[in-house]
Amino acid sequence: MTIHDYLTTFAGLPVVASAEKEAPADPAAVAWRIEVEDFEADPAEFEAAFGQLLERTGPAGPTALIIGQWGSAYDTAFPTDLLVRNAARLGRLRALFIGEMSSEECEISWIQQGDITGVLEAFPALERLWVRGAEGLALTPLRHQGLRELVLQSGGLPATVIRAIGACDLPNLTRLELWLGVDQYGGDARADDLAPILAGRSLPALTHLGLRNAEIADEVAAAVAAAPVVARLAELDLSLGVLGDAGAESLLAGQPLTHLKSLDLSHHFMSPELAQRLVDELPGVAVDVSDRQREEEWGRYTAVSE
Amino acid sequence: MRLAVVGNPENRRVALFAAAAARAGLPAPQVHPWRDVLLSGRVPGPGTVVRIDSPGENAEVDTLLRALGTGRPAAVAEPGEILGGAAAFAGLRAALGRVAAGGGELLNQPADVLTMTAKPHCHAVLAAAGIPVPAALGPVHGYESLRAAMDRAGWGRVFVKPAYGSSASGVLALAVSGRRAAAVTSVELSGGRIFNNLRVRRYDDEASITAIVDRLAPDGLHVERWYPKAALGNRVLDLRVVVIAGEPRHVVVRTSRSPMTNLHLGNARGDVAAVRAAAGDRAWAAAMGTCVRVAECFPRALHVGVDLMFRAGWRDHAVAEVNAFGDLLPGVLADGLDTYGAQVAALVTGRTVVPCGI
Repeated sequence: MTIHDYLTTFAGLPVVASAEKEAPADPAAVAWRIEVEDFEADPAEFEAAFGQLLERTGPAGPTALIIGQWGSAYDTAFPTDLLVRNAARLGRLRALFIGEMSSEECEISWIQQGDITGVLEAFPALERLWVRGAEGLALTPLRHQGLRELVLQSGGLPATVIRAIGACDLPNLTRLELWLGVDQYGGDARADDLAPILAGRSLPALTHLGLRNAEIADEVAAAVAAAPVVARLAELDLSLGVLGDAGAESLLAGQPLTHLKSLDLSHHFMSPELAQRLVDELPGVAVDVSDRQREEEWGRYTAVSE
Repeated sequence: MRLAVVGNPENRRVALFAAAAARAGLPAPQVHPWRDVLLSGRVPGPGTVVRIDSPGENAEVDTLLRALGTGRPAAVAEPGEILGGAAAFAGLRAALGRVAAGGGELLNQPADVLTMTAKPHCHAVLAAAGIPVPAALGPVHGYESLRAAMDRAGWGRVFVKPAYGSSASGVLALAVSGRRAAAVTSVELSGGRIFNNLRVRRYDDEASITAIVDRLAPDGLHVERWYPKAALGNRVLDLRVVVIAGEPRHVVVRTSRSPMTNLHLGNARGDVAAVRAAAGDRAWAAAMGTCVRVAECFPRALHVGVDLMFRAGWRDHAVAEVNAFGDLLPGVLADGLDTYGAQVAALVTGRTVVPCGI
């Protein structure tokens, strides 16, 4: 499976493509989407689209911004510098999604990203940061007080990035979603790399943790089953991965999860018996065990990899 | 009116057309099996109105077409084997000539059927008519020449199609970047031969991709730039629009989790109303207008099956293919008539655009 849909809302705002001619009544009340149509468009074309967006959104710029294809995303990292240079023209920016491309436009595992530290530094008021694609993705640990939501979607998230997140100080982060992916596409993290996150010390406000799309889902489940951060969570999401009976047994044998509002395990390889036991033993928790997968000739696949 | 059908009698297409004729109170069409046309040369004669239907899905007919095309005995293809597309096309050209020579009034003229079936030619005709189509590369002769042509064009993502293929047979959705290459396709390599497999798979080793492309290339390739398709419910989609006597009223949405939307590949029909709503009335009307213009490029074909793609984001559309035998849309009704019923109605009311004889 792959990602084909575009978001229709982002940060609670309806998405409007910057290429649409009709202007919304209030340019601050929508999430703007910019992209170049040509897969291999020249960087100047993306800069022009960005410039047009700034014209349409006034001196404070957009509230929420989704960036799709910026041109040859499969071999050229997103130019974060463009945002950083224009930070003064983006004073209102609170939500940013870099790389919302469908697999028709670029395979998730091919999307090139760069170092996103500069973006976080340049936008201290940024509340939501989503990034799709993790090839070349880098982060230097920092403190960021504004960030509420960090979502890194990938077919393979490097351990270096996961360790950097664990070393960040994000006092107001409530939602963290990491798509760990598969080793073949750079998802080389092991449970140890998640330890600082699971300890939760630098994420005091966290209530939603997603460790999704993981080839190491059973290992993640075992780590989560004993993780201090879990006691604070309302929502735990281990979906889209290859969670099997081993992981389910870890969850059943581990710390109580009855305080959760939801536990998302959809897209899994658990036996019906164990999936049912999880549901039965967590009354009051919305447990999602839908989309059971069958093992294929070459083994188990995460939902989103290529 | 004396109706005749040239087709494979075991195929439901033939039965569906006969049923539509019966519902309209017409006498049963006389069926001329492709096998007989090819073996004995017996074709419908003067005074008959002739529907030419697909010669596909019949191994013997395929073998006979390839033999006719090359003038030599042809090997029987194994089930699913992709073999001799160019020869089969040459055979179809010759066979359609025989049918035309019989003097019947053809509902679909051979020239139009052939143009629709030859993808490079069809693409050129549509482009010349100003119909939106993805940009295409010139002829390529194998993987190396394909990569070179992609480099020259500056393209990293293309659809590679056999020049004379149909229904996703042999199509590859290919993405390359430097030394990486990935292809999504229904083609399966086995012992140096290539087969269509109903399971779409992904190859990310260049050796396999090279082998497949090089195996397809001798029969001709048509390469278009990948047009990123719109999606709904996390499935990409396109439309099959059957234009009958100029009217684009039979539509199916074909949805898929892979870049190939063809329904026989385990894909699902989508909700036409939902797609129409997502596209918006203006974009939908523009798309239907394009389908009508496509049909106008083939004025001597009673029906034309247009595969229409909306671009991701819905702001644009383009024609992926045109199908000469694309009217098998069981259960899709417009004003109570399926595609066959609509064609019979057009015949009865004289709304065909078919001049008698050529």
